[in-house]
Amino acid sequence: MENFTTSATSFLLEHAKNVVRHDAWSAFVESGLPLTSDEVWRYAPLGNFALERYQVAQAPGGVTNSPLVDALAAGSGRVVRVVDGFLVDAGRDTDGVEVSVEESVDSLAGGSLLEHYERDSFALLNCALAPSTLVVRVAPGAHVTAPILIVYSATSGASFPRTHVILGRGAQATIIEYFEGGRDGLVVPLEEYQLDDNASLQLVNYQRLDATAWHVARTTGFLARDARLVQGVVGLGSHYDRSRNDAELRGANASNELRTTFLGAGDQVHDFRTHQLHLAPRTTSTLLSKGAVADSSRSVYTGLIEIEKGAKRTDARQTNHNLLLSPAAHADSVPNLDIRENDVMCAHASSVGPLDELQRWYLESRGVSRADAERLLIQGFFYEMLTALPSDLAQVVEADVTDTLSRVAVVAP
Amino acid sequence: MSELVIENLHVSVGDKEVLRGFNLAMRGGEVHAIMGPNGSGKSTLAHALSAHPGYRVTEGSVRLDGEELLTLSATERARRGLLLALQQPFEIPGVRPVDLLIAAGADRDEVATRMNEEADRVGLSAKVLERFVNVDLSGGERKRAEMVQLGVLRPKFAVLDEIDSGLDVDALGAVARRLSAATSEWNCGVLAITHFRRLLVELAADVIHVVSEGRVVATGGPELAEELERSGYEPFRVAH
Repeated sequence: MENFTTSATSFLLEHAKNVVRHDAWSAFVESGLPLTSDEVWRYAPLGNFALERYQVAQAPGGVTNSPLVDALAAGSGRVVRVVDGFLVDAGRDTDGVEVSVEESVDSLAGGSLLEHYERDSFALLNCALAPSTLVVRVAPGAHVTAPILIVYSATSGASFPRTHVILGRGAQATIIEYFEGGRDGLVVPLEEYQLDDNASLQLVNYQRLDATAWHVARTTGFLARDARLVQGVVGLGSHYDRSRNDAELRGANASNELRTTFLGAGDQVHDFRTHQLHLAPRTTSTLLSKGAVADSSRSVYTGLIEIEKGAKRTDARQTNHNLLLSPAAHADSVPNLDIRENDVMCAHASSVGPLDELQRWYLESRGVSRADAERLLIQGFFYEMLTALPSDLAQVVEADVTDTLSRVAVVAP
Repeated sequence: MSELVIENLHVSVGDKEVLRGFNLAMRGGEVHAIMGPNGSGKSTLAHALSAHPGYRVTEGSVRLDGEELLTLSATERARRGLLLALQQPFEIPGVRPVDLLIAAGADRDEVATRMNEEADRVGLSAKVLERFVNVDLSGGERKRAEMVQLGVLRPKFAVLDEIDSGLDVDALGAVARRLSAATSEWNCGVLAITHFRRLLVELAADVIHVVSEGRVVATGGPELAEELERSGYEPFRVAH
């Protein structure tokens, strides 16, 4: 039964020279898995989590194509395939874009990965067990118009994809990261995005893993002066879907828009964490999280906006709206502010509730059936999230949401 | 000819009984007006007819062509041919009017053309109908948009809940002309709840009902509206 430890140890033996991996593993062994008594993990169903069930992927499984991958690929300029954390296809050459794998041990934050993630058990596992770092570099000044699609497939066991995206000064790109597969698996992505001065990245993390999967992801954007990161996070799959999306606004005028969209069914848990760290003047962060939970699914949104002294005229907003589609579903919303500068604009708003009964009645009084009225209202709820996505992707996600909704029972409170 | 018959309707809002034995009968193609002071139960009638969840029918009957409506859902009532146009129609963010109308049973292939025709008839820019249902629309635009729904869905009976309030003269004229045309185009019966005689003049109401304390206290021809204009509701209050 010692599957995980045995396979992790054999993986580390193959990478015997890499000290950081071994240190990360030791740090993990020392700290162990988080406990639900730890505030940031209190919503995770860790009681059902048995790490030893998973075997660490030692080599990539086979590549298969799903209809969603085909649909996404059709609108993309380059398709990069990662299977079980291993790069298997870098896609066709694209002007201004370089895709490679590196045995990187440093964080784009500066310093070693270990230093940066020392208190995060799952991130430590990634530091120890990621096959390598997928590096996507967009050359300074390059304007890459067609989206770059990165498909992360999980075929079995535990996989630890690690990705660094680096946009040079003034570069512009759209990257769609799509996660699928992962039946009875554990998928722990660790990603960093570095945006140099005036770079602009539109990024989507679209998680569509199997309903049995555990997904524990962490992404961090590092934004230099005038850089702009527009990130959309869509969580539809997984049994436990945890997504921590941070941004450090390091240069003046940097801006981060983050939209997280999720739909929970069955006994799914969607656990979203954000941390926007404003370090420079006139930086902007706009967070909008909108999700619906059906059946006995749960969601939590915990967002921290932190504004350092000197980050004058920062504008930071977080909004979180949750739709409860059944009396057994539950949503928590925990916005936090930590402000050490006076000259700032800061706002947060949140709501948790069922579909609006009077809006539904209004539609019904026109002759719309209850089921259609509910479908229209839920689609309407998600509409602003979808329109923020690149248009080809928006259609795919909309169809996906609609399809998921068609299998979900809406139960009035 | 269609027929709408309301008999001995009692409706409560919370613990308060607002309609107390309301009676009214009308046929397709007719225009009936309901007038009465604030709090007399006019809006309650409109909402109860459309199964608004905040209004509880405790007694009575509402039949459309002989079929009891009170046991039916809001959806079924609308599908049988009863449509309510609201004073303050709800905003539905993220939902386009065309999708609402298709879900309400409008013909998918013709709905866009029909919406444009109807918008044109009430002087509503077709662009307004590309926005989400009632979102960022002015009061006048909302009521014209309700008329577009009515024109596309062609109900047997239209119940208008103070749709004239807050409308300027041009909008009022446009709405009234559309409704008058509906009475001859498909014999639509119009039940207009209003404070103002102006709409009734534009609509050429056939029958006026004065409501007080939750029931009809007087019924007459257009001359009744003129009388109300002169004397106010007070004599009718005493009369019952």
